[in-house]
Amino acid sequence: MAANSYLAAAPVLRRVRGFFAPVNRAGCVPVLFDPAEMGQFELDAPPAPWVSLGWIKDFARRASSKTAAVQTGVPATVLEQVRETLDAQVSLRFLSWTKLTMALAAGSQHMNLLASAIGAGAGAVAIQSGATATLLPMLATDAAKFAAGQIVAVDVDYSGQAGFVGSPVSGAYVKSALAGTLTDVDYVRRVTFNVARIASVSTTGLTLAEALPGGAPVAGMKVSAVVGFVDREGGSFFQEWSGLFVMEGAQGERIFFYYPRLQALGSAAETRSLLDAKRGGSLERVLLTGDFRALPVTDSLDGERVVCYRSFLPAMSALV
Amino acid sequence: MQNAKDSFYVALRTRLVAINPERTVLLRAAVRPGILVEEAEAPFAQLPADVFVLRWLGLGVEQDLPAAMVSEEVEIVYSTLGTRSFGGLDRGRALSAMDEELVGMLTPFWTPKLNYSATPPVAMLTNVFWDELVFGPVTVVRDRLTRTARVVVHGYQEAGE
Repeated sequence: MAANSYLAAAPVLRRVRGFFAPVNRAGCVPVLFDPAEMGQFELDAPPAPWVSLGWIKDFARRASSKTAAVQTGVPATVLEQVRETLDAQVSLRFLSWTKLTMALAAGSQHMNLLASAIGAGAGAVAIQSGATATLLPMLATDAAKFAAGQIVAVDVDYSGQAGFVGSPVSGAYVKSALAGTLTDVDYVRRVTFNVARIASVSTTGLTLAEALPGGAPVAGMKVSAVVGFVDREGGSFFQEWSGLFVMEGAQGERIFFYYPRLQALGSAAETRSLLDAKRGGSLERVLLTGDFRALPVTDSLDGERVVCYRSFLPAMSALV
Repeated sequence: MQNAKDSFYVALRTRLVAINPERTVLLRAAVRPGILVEEAEAPFAQLPADVFVLRWLGLGVEQDLPAAMVSEEVEIVYSTLGTRSFGGLDRGRALSAMDEELVGMLTPFWTPKLNYSATPPVAMLTNVFWDELVFGPVTVVRDRLTRTARVVVHGYQEAGE
């Protein structure tokens, strides 16, 4: 009779995949990940609102939680242990440069470089009705200002808002309404994560090559052209993300590391790796480095404070 | 290891049909996908062109595991003279096409292990998996370009193997 189960060895894997989702900053609500229901998701098509950041390198996690011994008696012997501090950190290197990976690795506010010819100041273009996540209807004269291949930022005008701003990700926190020389009608579009590349331009509007992270634009949002991205050392704003890291073993098993709340720990930094280390040469690949501190959440199951969940979905037929 | 070797070969053959169904070889009076296992065919005076030939090499066994892991290196040899219609001047392009096909055939890096000694083949419990390809340099003999790539294929020994 053929065996129908086997004793599995430790998982063998090639690489780690990273997914991030924005924490609702105003409500302080992280994005949940339930491996029991979502554990078999297609890695190339993660469930919303998780965004794939592709394969990552040098994923390392460090738990810095400290325990202490409660001692009693003479001579003292350990009676029990208590957890003194709860702390964990994650570090990794991204294998791509995108708006999101750059922002995650920046550690502070991340902004869009608006094209001065289109979208700065009064140049922002209004969106007509019928917009979707990939289609931005606009007047023919407005559409003519854009070209296929350009990047656009889509968000509302700044009109004195305070608190977290930007859709769907809080791109900045305005402590008190900007006024005087600090007033910038494009401020929200400068910090928004609602950006996408234009696939084609017609007389009726723009078709985007990728869906806007924020979905269909809401009334009042305008479009500005973006030429690139910028971050800065300093500032008081910390971005916060939910992080999910997936290790997929050769037998189909999966290991998940779910961090409900991650904030950048260090400043923006890059590392370089030789393109062909074996044969030398001078070409180097520049990788964004991300270091994050895990912040605690309260587990609704039992009220315990935790910073990370590790889940394991065994391979089919493997004895557990 | 034979089940792993068979599974690896059949996986590559199936993927090749999907990637380039026109790459075929006439062998023993039958038209087959353009990939073969050298040790399972009559000896060749010269390897056929425009065909992937699998040649199994070294073997290693790691026994300190719940299930012994067997690893075997396979050399994949392929050569081309280009096409007649271009007088062989497209042999570089033809070799590049085979390079790309090989990369595609090896992705994803695992396949279910089946026992092909039974009819129909019987699915086993584990996957066969392999490492990244290591390409060797092109060798040129007159107008024939030949490349060898190597990959290590791993599999767990199951009960009854």
